[in-house]
Amino acid sequence: MSAITIDIGASAPPSALDLRRARAVMWTYISTGLAIFFLMMLVGIAMRAEQAGWITYDPGWFYALLSLHGIGMITAMAIAGLGTLWYLVRREAAIDPRIAYLAYGFFVAGVLCVIISVLPGKFGSLWTMLYPLPFVGAYWPSWATGVWLIGNALVMIGFMIWCAQILGALLVRYGGITGMLGIDYVFNTRAFQTTHAEPPPQMFAAAITAIDGIIGSTFGLAVGVGMLVHWVDPSVAIDPLWAKNLIYQFGHTFANLTMYMAVAGVYVGLPLCTKREYHTSKPLVVAWWGTLLFVIIAYFHHLYMDFAQAESVQFIGEIASYLAAIPVVVVTVFSGAMLVHRSGMRWSLGSVFLYAGMIGWVVGGTAAVLDATIPVNLDLHNTLWVPGHFHTYLLQGVLLFTIGWAFVNLEQRSGERSSLFTRWLAGTGIFGGAALFLISFYIAGANGVPRRYAVEPGVGPQYAGIATIGALILLCGLVVAGIEAYRLARLAKAGTAENV
Amino acid sequence: MARMLGYVILALTVVFALAPAYRGDVEFPIRIHHLLHAVILVGAGVSALLLTRRSPARLATRAAWLVVSIVAPVIAMLLMWPSNYSPLDKLPAAHTFEHLGLAVFGFLTAYAGQQYAYGVGTAMTLSLWAMAFLAAWGFGVSPPLQVENVAAASAANAAPASTNATATADVAHGKMVFAQNCASCHGARGEGGMGPSLEHESTRKNASQAIAWIENPAPPMPKLYPSTLSAADVRDVAAYIETLK
Repeated sequence: MSAITIDIGASAPPSALDLRRARAVMWTYISTGLAIFFLMMLVGIAMRAEQAGWITYDPGWFYALLSLHGIGMITAMAIAGLGTLWYLVRREAAIDPRIAYLAYGFFVAGVLCVIISVLPGKFGSLWTMLYPLPFVGAYWPSWATGVWLIGNALVMIGFMIWCAQILGALLVRYGGITGMLGIDYVFNTRAFQTTHAEPPPQMFAAAITAIDGIIGSTFGLAVGVGMLVHWVDPSVAIDPLWAKNLIYQFGHTFANLTMYMAVAGVYVGLPLCTKREYHTSKPLVVAWWGTLLFVIIAYFHHLYMDFAQAESVQFIGEIASYLAAIPVVVVTVFSGAMLVHRSGMRWSLGSVFLYAGMIGWVVGGTAAVLDATIPVNLDLHNTLWVPGHFHTYLLQGVLLFTIGWAFVNLEQRSGERSSLFTRWLAGTGIFGGAALFLISFYIAGANGVPRRYAVEPGVGPQYAGIATIGALILLCGLVVAGIEAYRLARLAKAGTAENV
Repeated sequence: MARMLGYVILALTVVFALAPAYRGDVEFPIRIHHLLHAVILVGAGVSALLLTRRSPARLATRAAWLVVSIVAPVIAMLLMWPSNYSPLDKLPAAHTFEHLGLAVFGFLTAYAGQQYAYGVGTAMTLSLWAMAFLAAWGFGVSPPLQVENVAAASAANAAPASTNATATADVAHGKMVFAQNCASCHGARGEGGMGPSLEHESTRKNASQAIAWIENPAPPMPKLYPSTLSAADVRDVAAYIETLK
């Protein structure tokens, strides 16, 4: 793979028309992802309100909504992140928008299948769909299971198409796998720089997403096809532990990668805000290698309570959880903070979201690392602490990076910045609401309130009430940001800045 | 040289794939069968990679190559339907046709990927091989039961069956059934979890009532009988639950 030559045409800068087409791809993905995100937020509020006892409905519906919310949120963030990353890759390498739209078609079809399986079908075995639960559920018909499985398979195929397209583009652009992953850059810098340009930081995010995405989809499609076959022919046995390992390998990798997709926006957005360059450095490249290698085996931490699992992999899961996250977080956040330090950057909604996203990444990541530590996990496993950490990761990390990049793009192209009042209104809603919403998960989790209960015991309902209020405030903040984004988008359309 | 080797491996793969037509009454366990499928896929993939070794380093403008390279592994995985259960296995000609399908889709995965961009075919081929080996681990294969461990533990813990309904029950087997189907909700030792604790269940239900409940549970407990659990499984697991203190 490494012996191929670079196609000069592929590395030529894209024309203005190409960039416009590429931006259309990006906005299609981002707007779809955020629209799904918005709907899933409403579903989440309905669940927390039910747990608070403010509204009541059948527990079967609670689990159906929980299934929809879980898979919908991750897919929404992934679609938005993939759009961002696709566009950032397009600025460096030649890729065909038609393939991006094809992958998008698979995503949309998959999401529609999932919605059909849940809303009329009442499918409720959660995104984890642990065997044999999807096939023995008391609340949903068999067809709902089939449609759910088909929907998942379509999303995985779409993801695989996206990953393969990006992999191909990077292999061609950087002269093979060693160039694309920065191996040449780290071990033979001078020689590498005479022949190739070093990949910019966002390309590592793209490379790791593409490679680990293909690995994750391999696991996901293997178990997905297996369960589809079981659905058609129940006599085909499935090993429950096999299924759980494969489902979590895909699920954890896919969810984790949403952060790495979105962080590319930081690598490009912060330099635009600070007017400084974000250089590729050897520590950054090595940190990304850690993520590349360890994110695919970190999922073992989901199976700490599975006594049938070999004990050795539990420890592998713990160590991999540290090595997948800590190096890249430290390097990215430190270099991001240094980029902002004394840069004279003017705070806008874009830069605020990107900077706050780094803080959210650290907080959510720390909570995740704590939960991945076996002695701590013994107490926190299956408590509300767990959704606490991944809601922080997604809401205050992935979401902020995604909308942060979107705002930076709009601000740069429109030459406009939001008013101080708008920034305060959106910021207070988003950060204040999220703080209230998230802290209730952590405190309830630390008090042992279990997750995934339609009716929560102990102090659960009180904190569910606080969370519901927080989520509603957060929703208002996001609506304000959405209206402001629309205003900036109209101005950007008339703008002349084409290189963003 | 590489191309020649590619043709030779492709020919050998096709011959290997044709084997079911001549295999007579030989039966393979599903796990071995999956691994034999993997051999076909490895042969087809290696031959395609050798035959495309000099493909240019460029991104094809024809997106179809990429789609073929992605969809082919999914179809190949479907063809790996555990054939001890499949009608295909009863008809050697159909089984041979299925194997040829594996060879074709294994070849296409690599060839189309390399035609799209050099290196993508390699990645997708590795993905397909991984699927085949993963299938051998649990697709159509029942979980390996650690009978000796469970039996030893049961011997220390198990109390005699308490009623006529479970008089002939196998408590050790019941413990295994419990571990596979019930422990995720009720806890590894029946101490409770997402589902209620089953400790001292014998004081709440006798064996007949426990059997009746397992056979026809109220939601949200899933109904596993008769789709997943046999009558003997239900009897044994009920007997095991009676021993939980």
